[in-house]
Amino acid sequence: MASDQPSNPQDGLTTTRDDSLVKPIIVANSTWTPADPTAYNGGQPPQITHLRELELGDKSDNGRWGALDVIPTKADYVLDLIRINSLWPLLSGLACCAMEMMSAATSRNDMDRFGMFPFRASPRQADVLIVAGTLTTKMAGPLVRLWEQMPEPKWCVAMGDCTCSGGRYKRSYATVEGIDRVMPVDVYVPGCPPRPEGLIYGMMKLQQLIKERRGHWPERHIGPTVPIGV
Amino acid sequence: MTARQDTTEIRIGPTDVARVMTLLHDDPEFRFLILSDLCGVDTGSVMQVVYHLWSDATPDWLRVIVDGLPRDDPRAPSVTFLWNGAEWAEREAYDMFGIIFEGNRDLRRIYMPPDYQSFPLRKDFLLADDAARAPGQGVRHMEQTFQPAEYRRREVLRQGLGSDAGQMAPGLQTAELASGEDPAR
Amino acid sequence: MTTEQTIRSLDDPDLFVETPGTIYDAIPPLPPRTEREAEFYTMRDGEMLINLGPQHPSTHGVLRVVLKIDGERVVDLDPVLGYLHRGVEKICENGDWHHAISNCDPLEYIAAMFSEAMPVMVAEKLLDLEVPRRAEYIRVLAWELNRISSHALFVGWLALDLGGLTPILYGFIERDEIVEMLAALTGQRLLFNYLRIGGVNGDLNHDFLSRLGDWMGNALKRIEEQQKLLNSNEIFVARTRGLGVIDRDMARRTLLSGPVLRATGIPYDVRRAHPYSVYPELEFTIPTREEGDSYARYLLHLDEIKQSIHIIDQVLHRMPDGPVMAKVPRLMRIPPGRAYVSIESPRGQYSAYGMSDGSDQPFRLRIHDPSFFNLQAVGLLMPGNLVADTMAIMASLDPIMGGIDK
Repeated sequence: MASDQPSNPQDGLTTTRDDSLVKPIIVANSTWTPADPTAYNGGQPPQITHLRELELGDKSDNGRWGALDVIPTKADYVLDLIRINSLWPLLSGLACCAMEMMSAATSRNDMDRFGMFPFRASPRQADVLIVAGTLTTKMAGPLVRLWEQMPEPKWCVAMGDCTCSGGRYKRSYATVEGIDRVMPVDVYVPGCPPRPEGLIYGMMKLQQLIKERRGHWPERHIGPTVPIGV
Repeated sequence: MTARQDTTEIRIGPTDVARVMTLLHDDPEFRFLILSDLCGVDTGSVMQVVYHLWSDATPDWLRVIVDGLPRDDPRAPSVTFLWNGAEWAEREAYDMFGIIFEGNRDLRRIYMPPDYQSFPLRKDFLLADDAARAPGQGVRHMEQTFQPAEYRRREVLRQGLGSDAGQMAPGLQTAELASGEDPAR
Repeated sequence: MTTEQTIRSLDDPDLFVETPGTIYDAIPPLPPRTEREAEFYTMRDGEMLINLGPQHPSTHGVLRVVLKIDGERVVDLDPVLGYLHRGVEKICENGDWHHAISNCDPLEYIAAMFSEAMPVMVAEKLLDLEVPRRAEYIRVLAWELNRISSHALFVGWLALDLGGLTPILYGFIERDEIVEMLAALTGQRLLFNYLRIGGVNGDLNHDFLSRLGDWMGNALKRIEEQQKLLNSNEIFVARTRGLGVIDRDMARRTLLSGPVLRATGIPYDVRRAHPYSVYPELEFTIPTREEGDSYARYLLHLDEIKQSIHIIDQVLHRMPDGPVMAKVPRLMRIPPGRAYVSIESPRGQYSAYGMSDGSDQPFRLRIHDPSFFNLQAVGLLMPGNLVADTMAIMASLDPIMGGIDK
């Protein structure tokens, strides 16, 4: 289930569109040829050999970490509504986006109003992992370890272009293109860096998502939402 | 590439480094007491180490280019005996180019993970869309996995492997491009 | 790779996977690869290795420091960098000189104008290009504004690392005002992409000038008010005075620069030692302090903020008319050559060495951030101090991992 599609589309927001006029325009790539001829045919699964333990064998959370020992109960349906207003982020500012995250947390654009003031230092006490900044292959291991140390329920926000898809470092030899290759992501906040208001919008989207998905948080997938070969 | 330069520049060979640097540093007329930058350069045919020095006696920078380091076994003397701060810069030059600085007490990789196999800023390490698919390993079929002789020997001893260990992977002796482009465009 | 390497889950209670090359350096790595590593990982009785890991609450970025502690005192340390290495230099080699401007932006992400200036000034030097005077003055204005916002943040972070949660909010108030101003000028809050080879991207506009005027009106007063929070705060002074003292000889040998160096008494400022842009025409002093401890570095940053406000004042009074961009072709084939430029960033001497081979791509663009050498000072300063002071020392050296790791 894609994480950005609500289960119950609200009435009044659906419109009938004439799709014949808005067909996507596909331009064949003629400016360069990829070195790998199978690049745009589904390609190969990313062999992140350096991070072999994190290979994308299983797409669902359950398979990856064994059967989830935490079973969401009926209480979680209500508790998720309460958790929305007190999501505690983990300080995971890696690079420039961390500056905007801190800016979103301080006086002018205040995230404290949403309950997100205490940026916990320890992953054991955090709810949300806001990954802000480029993820390099060296840092990927520690970051995934942080993610795994966070207790359920936990959510992940990919802030900035570098975490969404690799951004300006997509062709670099030392970065992971998008953290969705190594951890499940709930909200993508694009921008380089996104404005603090953008991050706050992303967090509000996360609140909406938790509300709509309440009780169903184990069902998430790791994997890029962009085709592998791109 | 020898056309223009902006500051005074001298070129020396790797054997002269210690002598020249000590002279520039200690001589009361020169007093090049501050090293601003230490970097490695891969010109495609040779490797160089470039130092930029500053002295309060002249308003200009002095560029010292240590030229002529062979690409398959680049070694240069270290200047950490004069400036402690050069240690990390030499580590970076080693990490990015494979230049081994003799006399540096701590010559290990500084940016890349310790088990990384290649030297990224060399001209035969090519970035391409394939690099996006295997981050951390470089481009497997396109890069030349360079292992200096010392590294190979050390790995062999450390792991107690047989005599054929430490060889470059077969078939990866040269950088090949699948589409046959010229890398030096 | 050994043959008995198994792929284990990261949740395995046996924490360290014993393969020779793993992403986790086993502590201690067996066997040590260099002399210094062997010295570091030889432990006497009672010593412990503690990992001040890549994610820690002191927001300097991702730096990992392996501390060897005896009780509460740090005996030795081993900083591990590279958790933010993005391969900027290699990416720059694959693009244009113009692409290098936006590629080098995130190196010093707090004060991006300085890191942008690197490819720009190298290219201008290689081309022997004369930048219009108005553009030079706008550059100085942007540089000094970035310097103030960076120093305001430094003060906030230093207090944050010592446990004070209020000054960082004040620092971010200052920074947000300046950054909104620059967003009105350049269009972006953080990674401006404003400097161009031959000038700047756009002229000053009304929005920027009105915000600048509002801010300048009470800038000095506000900075002095914020100083009052910390200057004579008993706890702050007790924790920073005498902490991390650097003496001049060690400072020179460790190749420090910037406020860290000037706090030891050496008045080396690139704006005066190697004048660039229009700094020779501007009147400002170089503040120095004698003691060389963290408190001196803190006071020095405040002095520098005041000097920067003074410089902005002069720039606004002297702003000449004229174009903001020289006539340069879009496709810029730079004649072959080598150039070295160096400017004074909030952290010290920011320099770049560029080589061109006649095409429009940089052959080698080497950016050298001052925090790279400044961070080596932690190796001198932390041993002997308490673990609680390690972050105070790190904060007072003001490192930015974007530039260190490139």
